[in-house]
Amino acid sequence: MIHFKNIRFYYPKGKTILDDISLDFVPGNIYGVFGKNGEGKSTLMKIVAGLLFPKSGKYHVMGEAMSRNTVKYLQHMFIVPEDFELPGIKISSYEHINSPFYPEFSREQFYELLKEFKLSPDEKISTLSFGQKKKVLIAFGVATNTKLLLMDEPTNGLDIPSKSQFRKIMASVVDQGKCVVISTHQIRDLHSLINHIVILDQSKVAFDQPLSTISECLWFGKTRRDSNESIIYSEASFGGKTILSRQDKDETEVDLELLFNAVLNEPVRISNAIKNTHHDSAV
Amino acid sequence: MDFDNSKPIYLQIVDFFYENILSKRWPEEERIPSVREIAVMVEVNPNTAIRAFNHLQELGVIYNKRGIGYFVSENGYNTVLSIKKTEFKEEILPDIFKKMGLLEIKFEEVKDAFNQYLNNKDNEEK
Amino acid sequence: MTQQFNIRRIGNFIYRDIVLLRNTIITTLSVVGALLLFFFLYDLRGDHIISEEEFASNFMKFYVVLGILFTFSIFREAHHKKSNLFYFSLPISSYERVTAIWLTTSALYTLLFSVFGFLIGQVAIVLGSMFSETNFHLLPIFSESYWQGVTFYFFIQPTFLLGAILFTKNRIIKTLLFVVLLVFGLFIFNGILFSIFNIGYDIFSEDQIVSNAFSLAREDFSGIGIFLFVIIMVPVMLLAAYFKIIEKEV
Repeated sequence: MIHFKNIRFYYPKGKTILDDISLDFVPGNIYGVFGKNGEGKSTLMKIVAGLLFPKSGKYHVMGEAMSRNTVKYLQHMFIVPEDFELPGIKISSYEHINSPFYPEFSREQFYELLKEFKLSPDEKISTLSFGQKKKVLIAFGVATNTKLLLMDEPTNGLDIPSKSQFRKIMASVVDQGKCVVISTHQIRDLHSLINHIVILDQSKVAFDQPLSTISECLWFGKTRRDSNESIIYSEASFGGKTILSRQDKDETEVDLELLFNAVLNEPVRISNAIKNTHHDSAV
Repeated sequence: MDFDNSKPIYLQIVDFFYENILSKRWPEEERIPSVREIAVMVEVNPNTAIRAFNHLQELGVIYNKRGIGYFVSENGYNTVLSIKKTEFKEEILPDIFKKMGLLEIKFEEVKDAFNQYLNNKDNEEK
Repeated sequence: MTQQFNIRRIGNFIYRDIVLLRNTIITTLSVVGALLLFFFLYDLRGDHIISEEEFASNFMKFYVVLGILFTFSIFREAHHKKSNLFYFSLPISSYERVTAIWLTTSALYTLLFSVFGFLIGQVAIVLGSMFSETNFHLLPIFSESYWQGVTFYFFIQPTFLLGAILFTKNRIIKTLLFVVLLVFGLFIFNGILFSIFNIGYDIFSEDQIVSNAFSLAREDFSGIGIFLFVIIMVPVMLLAAYFKIIEKEV
């Protein structure tokens, strides 16, 4: 429903940050965007949020071409940045001044979420900790009911119980009308939520697959050394975690960290393994 | 819910259902939580929860009443029991036998240990 | 494009700006209110009235400077590294934004600050009537100087509005410098025009004529120059601010 085609971005005189990025964000999914530091995750998020202009490329929202700063586009998306400062006013005032801009905003939902996060609408935002401010913003972002909810490192600054609350909230908000895109390093915090993996490497989309395809094609686990199966990727560390082509083996849980390392080190082999299996099953 | 790294999450959710059905927390012919409720409860993507529901529906453990929700099947308890028994015989026992062989444990020893366990349990109950 | 201009969004944005600056506004108004009250009370001595001209003179001590400061502070969120993201991702078009900001910092500000000045003056009169021989009278505010001041503010304010969005650091100083350069540029431009048309008179040879040229140039600036300023400068500055906002990236 939200579609980016051939997005290119670079800073004047700088190196290319994003090179020919095409991505589809389909509602009902939680996308995880991964990449090493400086591989353009935050830049991509800002471009999607309309805060940076791509040097070339197209935006489509529900089949309609848009420019990044049309009101209609901005009404469809909300971004929770990694680092931010909120005004020092009461939480309820914050809602009051910002919610009228979002046509689908639900006040009921916002105050319900605040309650879940144990925040009172009368609290002044300036007296809150960073984690609490983040909760205010997450609650607000969810309550805007935008089609696209972008989150840059959402679990940074949240304590352990709040991370669990965050996962519960995300599990409850994703439905047929909403798409969540999370950019993060905290794979462990979020791996049960994410069902589509995007990996950026060397300014390009190195990997873009739904989790269901990955678990259909790849097998994650430890193998015996004498196994004669061809190994797609293996970590030499103790225990030797390995990725194999799944073939007839039982389905395993996708090890996102292992997959991430594999994509960075053996991009061709991974994509071939997926292409072959996927092709076979399609025929 | 903490997830085991090797088993797909949807199967771990299925196990969570089995546990509730075997312990009779979810009796037969009673409504169970919705997909969304389960997703929130165990903090997973609703798509993963749907997979677990579909899997259980295929096995005949639960069924869907249109517009109302999911229910434990009439003989859901027995179905789960036989599934878990098969799993025990086919997956857990071979592992145990292999370990017994490795550690040279005789079957008699296991039998004694099992009897002792039963005795202890009886005593505790008294 | 009908989507892009919506009166209600402009209203919401004005309200949002005012709420965000509420504390600053309250603090400033209490300080300025106290000073104004002091000046007004001072004016009551002798004749026991505050005249139109006295009001205008006190009012203008603050009106232009405060208005310019207000114009700069309204972009605080837009320039702050950790909050500009929210500012620019807010669903409001650049037309609406510039319109809202201009309305807030010119029309709305003038209206409210005039009412504020009037109220403080009136309080001074009431206080005076309680503690001295002052007779209660309604404070007259609409003098010629008042209108001149307001007109002046409306002419120069868009330039500062542009400066407030254009520069990110030391915005006030840079804008002032910009204005000085602008005035100087116009001055030179007039001078050059004058010297071109009067080249035959060899104006640079004699001090007398040079100073004549400059004074003529200055005169020219005060007449046609101000007219140009009004007709061209205001829309140009607002348009420039609009384009600046459109291309602003975070």
